[in-house]
Amino acid sequence: MLKMFSPGLWIVLLMAAGSSVLIALLPIPTHPGMEMWVFDPNHAKIARFIAADWNQGHASNPVTIHLITGAAIQSRMMSGFYSDTPIADLIEVERGMIGQVFAGPVADVGFVELTGRLDRENLRTGINGPSFSPWTTRGHIFGLPHDVHPAMLLYRADLVEAAGIDVAKIETWDDYFRILRPLMQDLDGDGRVDRFLLNASPTSIYYQEVLLLQAGGRMFDEMNQPTLNEPVNARIIARLATWYAGPGHVASEITLGGASSMRLVREGYVVGLLAPDWFAGSIRTSLPDMAGKFKVMPLPAWEKGGRRTSVLGGTMLGITKAGRTPEAAWAFAKQLYLSPATAQRLYEEARIVSPIKANWPEPFYDVPDPYFCGQAIGRMYLKLAPDVPLRPSSPYYGLAQQLLNQSVSQLCAYADDHRLYNAAALEPEARRLLQEAQRQLQAQMDRNAFLRPAAR
Amino acid sequence: MKNSRLHSVWTPWLFLAPFLLSFTAFIAWPAVRSLMLAFEQTFGPRTIAFVGLTNFRFMLHDPFFWTAVGNTVLFTVAAVVTQIPAALGLALLLNRADLRGRRLFRVIFFAPSIVGLAFVAIIYSIMLEKRTGFINSSLHSLLPAWDPDFPWLDHYVMPSLILAVLWLSAGFYMVYFLAALQNVPGELLDAANIDGASPWQRFRHVTLPEIRPVLNIILLLVVTGSFQFFELPYLLYNETNGNGPDNKALTIVTYLYQTGFRSGDLGYASAIGWLLTLVLVGLALIQRRLTQKEEL
Repeated sequence: MLKMFSPGLWIVLLMAAGSSVLIALLPIPTHPGMEMWVFDPNHAKIARFIAADWNQGHASNPVTIHLITGAAIQSRMMSGFYSDTPIADLIEVERGMIGQVFAGPVADVGFVELTGRLDRENLRTGINGPSFSPWTTRGHIFGLPHDVHPAMLLYRADLVEAAGIDVAKIETWDDYFRILRPLMQDLDGDGRVDRFLLNASPTSIYYQEVLLLQAGGRMFDEMNQPTLNEPVNARIIARLATWYAGPGHVASEITLGGASSMRLVREGYVVGLLAPDWFAGSIRTSLPDMAGKFKVMPLPAWEKGGRRTSVLGGTMLGITKAGRTPEAAWAFAKQLYLSPATAQRLYEEARIVSPIKANWPEPFYDVPDPYFCGQAIGRMYLKLAPDVPLRPSSPYYGLAQQLLNQSVSQLCAYADDHRLYNAAALEPEARRLLQEAQRQLQAQMDRNAFLRPAAR
Repeated sequence: MKNSRLHSVWTPWLFLAPFLLSFTAFIAWPAVRSLMLAFEQTFGPRTIAFVGLTNFRFMLHDPFFWTAVGNTVLFTVAAVVTQIPAALGLALLLNRADLRGRRLFRVIFFAPSIVGLAFVAIIYSIMLEKRTGFINSSLHSLLPAWDPDFPWLDHYVMPSLILAVLWLSAGFYMVYFLAALQNVPGELLDAANIDGASPWQRFRHVTLPEIRPVLNIILLLVVTGSFQFFELPYLLYNETNGNGPDNKALTIVTYLYQTGFRSGDLGYASAIGWLLTLVLVGLALIQRRLTQKEEL
């Protein structure tokens, strides 16, 4: 037997067998109790703080918080749902990740349905209603909302006040652009405008939706059917095109993130920025030297008396079906998301307001913030929370967003080609583009065998 | 005797086993499974619906797919007509014995290909930024009439991508051409010179036929690489999942990735993947045919 193979081959075989045994014997790291995956460092910090408290009372089933990047959470989560690979008991999911979770039959969604629990424990009425919409598919709720994310307008108070402008006179977007017009200036004398009034452009994929939602437009209805071709959407994108296109355009975009974009914000390239609560928190951290130069105000309405807010972003906490102790996970989820302590830390760390109505009277929301010229921005955001528009969820949300953006870009190109910078004149083309976008979206959705009524 | 026969029968298989096992597990079986997937719609491996040719039929009428095909073909044509002449031109220049510092130039031109596409995407996104980007701010300083907000990445999507890949790849293919040029027999060039051939005639009738096998390989690499173009648009236009403004950066592989890994529609993504495979195999066969004809 020994002579069957050469010594060299025996060595190779022994090494292969030895290393296989070693790998097989390596202990798989296991955490006692529950695991929670979080994608945001601020959320992780708060979750660890609450988990420390939970773990004292639940030594046999403690919670371990893992901070993981969003993309990694999405792949691991889907892999866990599809193929039973190891997955956490609780996962925080960002709005952009949820579509894929909802792409199959409702029964196959990897999260525990929470509709019944929320109703039984009378929690639904205590949480801001619109905050549930992104986490609901075909009438079933799969997540506890983390936030509301009402949007306001963050503006350069130093520039506006130096020009003697009173923002209290601004009620609509038309007022905003008319009253702030003197701020659109050529600062270096080269004959070109160096300061714009709003940070937005045809390519800003998120802002079109924010403005559309504010106006009462939407991409899907409550039954998750596409509604891109609704007349209100055409009216809004026609008006957006007049902001973005032509030599007199009033909006331009800084792609926020890098150092150069922060330089442009600092230099006042744009006067106003669409700012959900988390963005106010983030700008405070990114540009500490700009303290006392920004203020927030409710979004100017599309029409007099119209909605003064919108919504951008969002996170939910889901309990995975694969979790070993779903009841304990639910108890921890409630302790984490419903407690005033979490609401306070979330506001103090990130300026994010709580969706839990019982937390809204908390005094920390009334503390003046020196960064925003002494405004109590927490209270200002909370006043707008009940008006936040609904955002029905869909696995085709990303595609709808792309199609909406494509329509806005094409409409701007059409405006430039025909030198048409009047919203009423652009509306028929806007309707045509959105009809086509709707047709494409519907065609993609019709192909999905799992979303047909019979498969639901 | 028996042992020796056993030895001779099993030894090759044992040596081949690691390759065969990994090939079967990671190439052959996934290929077969993806072919099956192309006829299915799935939500994970447990929820599967057989849909026959639906995925392929849908592809024929899918405007996103055709936009992706159009962009990919445009990029491929542009890549061939820019990268190959640029690489060959650089190689001819740097092959001249009388050029001082040619080693340094070779390193300089080859350097971008070491850094990779992710780095190129970062560099280009910074360089082409409006107002603060190197290109716009330099042009505005030199020509005050230049718009510092010139939207390179918004309005000139394909030229920006072509330029970025040219910068990255020209030096890489230059090395192949340099190696080929150094194998052109000097005596043939000398003979042509003595016969009074002009530099162009020497290039056309001596150099080009000698480097043609390498040229064919590079052509194949550029074409197949361009049909698989993904990373750069994905990284440059990350906010739109690689589509770019008005889908101008959408390529076949970007669409495949979005369909399979963002929307979770692995069946349709597999159908796109198989069509791409057929196109690439077809192009390789055509190229081989043409090469064989030339050799005959």
